[in-house]
Order: sequence, then C-alpha cells, then structure tokens
Amino acid sequence: MDLTGGLVARSGSGGMCRESTGLESLHLVDEFRQLVTLPSENAGGSFTALLELPATQAVELLHFTDSSSSQAAVNGIGGDIAPPPLHSFGTLTFPSNSALMERAARFSVIATEQHNGNVSGETTTSSVPSNSSANLDRIKTEPAETDSSQRLISDQIPCPIQNNRSGKRKDFEKKVRSSTKKTKSSEENEKLPYVHVRARRGQATDSHSLAERARREKINARMKLLQELVPGCDKIQGTALVLDEIINHVQSLQRQVEMLSMRLAAVNPRIDFNLDTILASENGSLMDGSFNGTAMQLAWPHQAIETEQSFHHRQLQPPPPHQWPFDGLNQPVWGREEDQGHGNEHNNLMAVSENVMVGSANLLHPNQVKTEL
Amino acid sequence: MVDSLFPSIETIGDASSESRRKKRKISETAETEAEIEARRINEESLKRWRTNRVQQIYASKLFEALRRVRQRSTNENVKVAGAAREIRETADRVLAASARGTTRWSRAILASSVRAKLKKHKKAAKLTGNCKSRKAATETKRIRLPAVDKKLKILGRLVPGCRKVTVPNLLDEATDYIAALEMQVRAMEALAELLTVAAPRTTLTGP
Repeated sequence: MDLTGGLVARSGSGGMCRESTGLESLHLVDEFRQLVTLPSENAGGSFTALLELPATQAVELLHFTDSSSSQAAVNGIGGDIAPPPLHSFGTLTFPSNSALMERAARFSVIATEQHNGNVSGETTTSSVPSNSSANLDRIKTEPAETDSSQRLISDQIPCPIQNNRSGKRKDFEKKVRSSTKKTKSSEENEKLPYVHVRARRGQATDSHSLAERARREKINARMKLLQELVPGCDKIQGTALVLDEIINHVQSLQRQVEMLSMRLAAVNPRIDFNLDTILASENGSLMDGSFNGTAMQLAWPHQAIETEQSFHHRQLQPPPPHQWPFDGLNQPVWGREEDQGHGNEHNNLMAVSENVMVGSANLLHPNQVKTEL
Repeated sequence: MVDSLFPSIETIGDASSESRRKKRKISETAETEAEIEARRINEESLKRWRTNRVQQIYASKLFEALRRVRQRSTNENVKVAGAAREIRETADRVLAASARGTTRWSRAILASSVRAKLKKHKKAAKLTGNCKSRKAATETKRIRLPAVDKKLKILGRLVPGCRKVTVPNLLDEATDYIAALEMQVRAMEALAELLTVAAPRTTLTGP
C-alpha cells in the first residue's frame, strides 16, 4: 500500500508523519514527543517490547475511543451517528489490516536494526491514528487503521482488559442499534414511568415513534381480546373487518335484548305473578296441588333459611353449583319494598319472588318449602 | 332447566380462558406490556360477567324490578311495545347497576335514566368526564385509516356513553359491554323461559 511504502521509505529518514496529512499536527507532535521519550527507557528490541508501549497507549486510546464512541452513541439522538463510522471500521478493516501486518513485520525488522527514531516514528504513526479515531469525524482511513491496529494489538497481546474491550467493541458494533435502543428506552422509562416500551432491534427510537408504537400496541392488544370475545373473529384479518364483526355482534345482542324484553312484556300481563302458577310450571310432576299461598306468614325469612338448610339433607336433585345469596337478597329487597295495602299478600308475593329466584337455581326448593309448610 | 343454560355457557367461558392461558404459555416471551395490561382488563370484565352467580343475581334483581314495574303499570293501560321498552330500560338499568359504576357505559345508562326521570338536562353532562378525551385526543396520529375511523365511531354510538372516548378506552368499554350484554341475554332468556312455561299451565292447573 502506498502508506506502507511511504513509511518504509521514510523509515530510514526517521520521517514523521506522512500520515500527518489530514491529522492535526498538535496531536502528532505531542504523541511523537511522548513516544520519543518513552521508548528510550525501554531496553527491548523485540516486537513485543515495541508493542508494549504502544500497547499501553493503545489500551488507553482504546478505552478512550470506546468511551467516547459509547458516549456519542448514547447522547446522540440515535445510533444513527454511531453506526456509520463503526461500520466504516468494519468495511475498511481488511485492507488496513494487511497494511498494518506488513508494517508490523517491518517494525520487527526495524526494531532489531534501529531503535529510536524510526521505531518511534512508526509507533507514532500507528498510535496517532488510534488517537485520532477518538474524534469520529476523521478521515475514514485513519479510524479504520486505528481499529485494525487495535485489533491487531488485541490479537497479539493477550491483555484481558484489551480483549474485553475489543470484545465489547465487537459486540458494540454488532448490537449497537439494539443496545442504544435499549439504553435509550430504559432511560426513557426512568424519566417517564408510564412509558413501558421495550424497543426492538432495527426500529426507530424517536420519542414520537416510541409513543406511537406504544399506542398502537395498546390498541392492537385490545383488538385481539375483542376478537377472542366475539365468536368468529379469530380468522378474520384486518382491523376494519374485525370491527365490522364486533359492531354486528353488539347490534345483534341489543336486538336480542329487545326481543326478549318484548317477550317478557307479553308474558307479564298473563301471569299474576302468583306462586301457584310459577311453581306449577316448574314442578309439574311434583306439585301436590294442595299448596296454599296464603299459608305463608311473616316468619318467612326464618323459614327460608331453614328450608334451605333442610334442602341439603334431602337432595332429590343435585344442588346448584352456586348458592344464592339468600340472606343478602332478602333484607335489601324487603327494605326497598313499598307496601301499598297489599299486606300479607304482598309479603307472600315477595316470598314468591324469592322463591322463584331460588327456584330458578334449584327447582326443588319451592317444593321443599311446600312440604315443610 | 335454567341450570342447564348457565353451566353450558360457563364452560364456554372457561374454554376460551383456557385457550387464552395456553396461548399465553406458548407466547409468554412475546407478550408486551400492553398485551398484559389489556389481558388483565379483559379477565376482570370476564370475571364480572361470566360467572353463574352473577347471572343469578342479575336474574333475581331483574325479576324484582320487573315485578315492581309491573305493579306500577297495572293501573295504566300499557301496550305491549311500551311495556317492552320499559322492560328493556329496566333491564339495562339493572345491568348497569350490577356493574357497580366502574365502567363508563354503566354510568351513562344510569345517568340517562336519572336524567329522564328528573328531567334535569345539565346534571349528568359533567358526570361522564371529558377530561380524559382531551388529553388523548391530541395524540391521534396518522395510522388511523378513515374506514377504521368510521367503524370506531359507529361502535362508539352503539356503546352507551362512549361517543367522545379515546380509542383504547372505547375498546375496553366495548369488551365489557359485550360481556355484560351476553349475560343479560342469557339471564333474560332464562327468565322468559321460566315465565312462558308457567303461563300456559295457568289454564290447566288453576288454583
């Protein structure tokens, strides 16, 4: 590659920074100074010794890069800003990797031959780009190289921190969208406790779209429940048709209520709500015919409780699954009753109604009452 | 006879809730918060309207109310249609009363009957409370198709007291209303059966 060739060519001359083109000179100068001083302390000539310094620096830079990029990702409106540069890392990894491999090979060669200038120059150039990657708005080649250099370093030096960080970076790159979404949504959840949305991967993270999605999910959940409630709606696709079905169902139910109320109205004038007739209808075969409605007295409430208990002993029919709230019904109903001169008969009718209610649940009860009386 | 009516429908309710439970087990991870919330609402409403006991309570209350209405109207000469309307309104009121005021439609039914009785127009207008709709109406966004919109309006007209209600609330109210209506139909059918079977016997086995 050109860069490599240039570097190699300049190596002998201790050339600084061919790659300084596009970089801020300040950074370069600082790094260069640092690196010039440090390697002089180092006695090793091997590549690993070489890489120790840049390794530590690269570790710092990695950390810096990571933190900066993660900050940028979280602070930014979306992962939109973060992914593209990182993507460019991924795409440009290979060519620069090979370039760096070559450079690394030459480093080792150079290191054995010479010490200070070239090595520092090379390491400078390798580390400076890594520093520059901290600023995401650099030329893509440099961040790419940085990335690859970091990867290279991580490959060669089994530093746990580095590996973790590189692993994190890889994971970060892969899942940058979902993580940012999750962090963003979790942040939102902390701020606004009533927004219970977990954003999924590949979905937008605007506050608008999140609210929209929450709203849509609410509505869809309720539509699903309605679908289950209304028979025949399971197989229909589409909100409009389901709503059609629901409307039809409600209308049919209301019409049924009207029909039934007409039926009840037609039934009412014919019956005097007399105990005999109602009981006769229910207990056709069991009716004695000797029943006397007026025989009921005001002691009915007590008897009622008694009869219900007695019923348990004589079970000619299976008891209903639910017992009527007999006591609960009695008192309020009687309290509400407006006696208008019917007197005893009225009470009888009251009892009758109670009886019928019980009878509807348990056909034998009035019969029991009769036999008791 | 009436017993046979009630348990059969109870099993249907159980079956649907069981299927829902199975679905929930299978897709437990896929359930979102919204679904959980909606399911909770649905289960509440179902518990209220599907049990046998509730049905029996409703039937008894309805019977009582009908009897009182009948007594009140024995003096006047009422036609069948008029009586039918009265009965229907009574039935609706009893149904709304058994909802215990937790739902909007029940409050609207009771409020409307009160309004008609006392002939005070301004009283119940504030009851339904439009403050909710004000907040949520501003959030209506693009996804609502006009076709769906029309149908939602129709649904709002069908469910009493739900004209200016937000979409998710409307769907909640509709769920509860449908469950309540089903119970009402069942109870009234049972009652009508009881009474109509009783009627022809009067001629045969008079006192």
